[in-house]
Amino acid sequence: MDARGGTAAAHLEVTDVGKRFAVNGEAFAALDHVALGVAKGGFVTIVGASGCGKSTLLRLIAGLDRPTSGALRLGGVPIDGPSLDRGIVFQEPRLFPWLTVAGNVMLGLENAQMPKSAKRAAVAKHLALVGLTAFADAYPHQLSGGMAQRAAIARGLVNRPAVLLLDEPFGALDALTRTRLQGELQAIWAQEKITTVFVTHDVDEAVYLGDRIVVMAPRPGRIAKVFENARPRPRERTDAALVHLRNAVLRELEATLGAEAPEPTRAGPQAAARPQRPAALRLPGAAGA
Amino acid sequence: MSAGETLAVLGGGAEAQPSGARIRRAAVGLLVPLAALVIWAASAQYGWLPIQILPEPLVVWDSLVQLWSSGELLDHARVSLLRVVYGFSAGAAAGLALGLAMGLSETVEDYVRPLFTALAQVPTLASIPLLMLPLGIDEALKVVIIAKAAFVPMTLNAFAGVRGVPAQLVEVAQAFRFTRLQLLRRVILPGAVAPIFTGVRYGLTKSWTALVAVELLASSEGLGYLLVWGRQMFWLDVVIVAMIAIGVVGFLMDKTLALAETRLQRWRVTAV
Repeated sequence: MDARGGTAAAHLEVTDVGKRFAVNGEAFAALDHVALGVAKGGFVTIVGASGCGKSTLLRLIAGLDRPTSGALRLGGVPIDGPSLDRGIVFQEPRLFPWLTVAGNVMLGLENAQMPKSAKRAAVAKHLALVGLTAFADAYPHQLSGGMAQRAAIARGLVNRPAVLLLDEPFGALDALTRTRLQGELQAIWAQEKITTVFVTHDVDEAVYLGDRIVVMAPRPGRIAKVFENARPRPRERTDAALVHLRNAVLRELEATLGAEAPEPTRAGPQAAARPQRPAALRLPGAAGA
Repeated sequence: MSAGETLAVLGGGAEAQPSGARIRRAAVGLLVPLAALVIWAASAQYGWLPIQILPEPLVVWDSLVQLWSSGELLDHARVSLLRVVYGFSAGAAAGLALGLAMGLSETVEDYVRPLFTALAQVPTLASIPLLMLPLGIDEALKVVIIAKAAFVPMTLNAFAGVRGVPAQLVEVAQAFRFTRLQLLRRVILPGAVAPIFTGVRYGLTKSWTALVAVELLASSEGLGYLLVWGRQMFWLDVVIVAMIAIGVVGFLMDKTLALAETRLQRWRVTAV
C-alpha cells in the first residue's frame, strides 16, 4: 500500500473512471475516462456546467454510487461504499428536523468508536468551529439557510474525516451569506488541513477557494482542464492574479459549452434547490444528478 | 333555558374573550352548536316537530342529569371505552406492524398490498354478517370489528409515513454507515411519526364509530345499547343523551391525542 507507481503522491486517486446511467433505455455517459489525483491536505474545486458529471464524481468519491469502470482509492485503499473517512456536505443542509443542531452533528458520530463524553466534546468543538455554539439546542426550522449549512459542515467534519466532500454547498444561499461562508470555510480548511473536494458551478467561488481548479465538460462528462492556483491565503477577491485566473477558467468553461446554447457566465442555471424526492426506501440511494 | 337566554350566552361567548386568539377561535367553534341549540329550542317552543320525536332541550337535560347521577351513563361509557381500548390497541398495533413492514420491504408490499387494498374497500360493518358465524355476537365480535376499523387507517398511514421519509435524509444516514436498525430507529421512525399519529387519531375515530354501530346490533350494555334501548322505548331524550355522550367521548379522545401529538413533535414549526 506504500509505493504506488506514478500516483504515489496523490492521497485521493481517481483512475480512469467512467459512470453510465440508463436514461429512457439509452446509456448516458455521465463520466468518461476521468482521472484525478488530490494531494493530502489539498483543496480541489471542481467547476462545470450542469450535466458535466461533477456531482456524480463527488458521489463516487463519497461511495454513495459505484463507478461503471475505473477505480477510486483513498490512501491506497479502494473506495467501495461510504466511510466515516469521507465527510460529505450536500447542497441542501439535510438536517434532521426532529433533532437539535447538536443532535444533528452527533448523528455523524453514531458509529464512531469513542466514549459518549468524547462524542459530546467533539460536537461542542465542531459547533464552535462553525460558530454555532449558541444554537446547539435550536431546531433546524429556527435556523437561517447559512446557519443550517454551517451545521451541515460541522456534521461533515465531526468524524475528523481524511477528506471533506462538498457538493455545491453554498449554491442555494444568498450572495452575502455565500461570500461569508466561503471565507469561513477557507479559515476552517487552513486550521484543520483537511483534504477538500469542493464542487461548484460558480467560477469565482472555485478560484477563490481552490488551490487546484478542475474544469469539467459535459456530454460525456470529462475533465477539460486543470488550473493550479498558488496564491497564498487568506486571499483577496480583488487580487489581480485571482481575477486573471478567474478569466482564464471562465474562458475554458465557456469553451466546454461549445456549440450549446450560451449560458449566463456567473451562477449556473441549476442554482435553485433541487426538489425533495420522496422515494421508496432502498438502501442504495437514488441516482444523483 | 329559553331562546333568549341562549342568545345572550351566544353573544357573550363571541366577545367576552378579547385576549388570546386561541380562546377566540375555540369560542367561534361553539357558535354553530349554540345556533343548533337555539333552533332546537325554538322547534320545541313552536311545535315544529312533535315532542315525541324531538323532545325539548330541558327534558333532555333532565334525562342527562338523571342518567349521570344514577351512574348509568358512566357505566355504559365505561363498557364502551373498554371495548375500544381492547379493539383499538389490537387493531392499531397490527396496522402499525403491517404498515411499517410494507413501507420497509417491497417484497411484503407486493405480497400483501392488493389484498389489503381490496379489504380496505369493504366497509367494516359489511364484515359483521360473516364474522358473526365463527365469533358469535359477544365481545369477540365487537373487539374484532373495532380492531378492523382501526387497522386500515393505521396501516395506510404507517405505510405512507415510511415511504414519505425524504430520500436525502436516508442518504445522510447511508453516508454515516448506519445499520438497518439505526436507520429504522434514528431516521425512518422519527420521520414517520406525524403520519403514524394521523393514523392513530383517524383509527381511534373509526374504532369509536364502529363500536357504536356494533353495539347497536347486539349488546346489553354500552352507549350504543343505550341508544337502541331508548329508541325501542321511544324515549328520544335518552337517545339524544346517548348521542351527546358518544360525541363528547369521541371529541375528548381526539383532543387528548392531539395534545400528545403536539408534545411529541415540539420540533415542528409552531403556528403563530
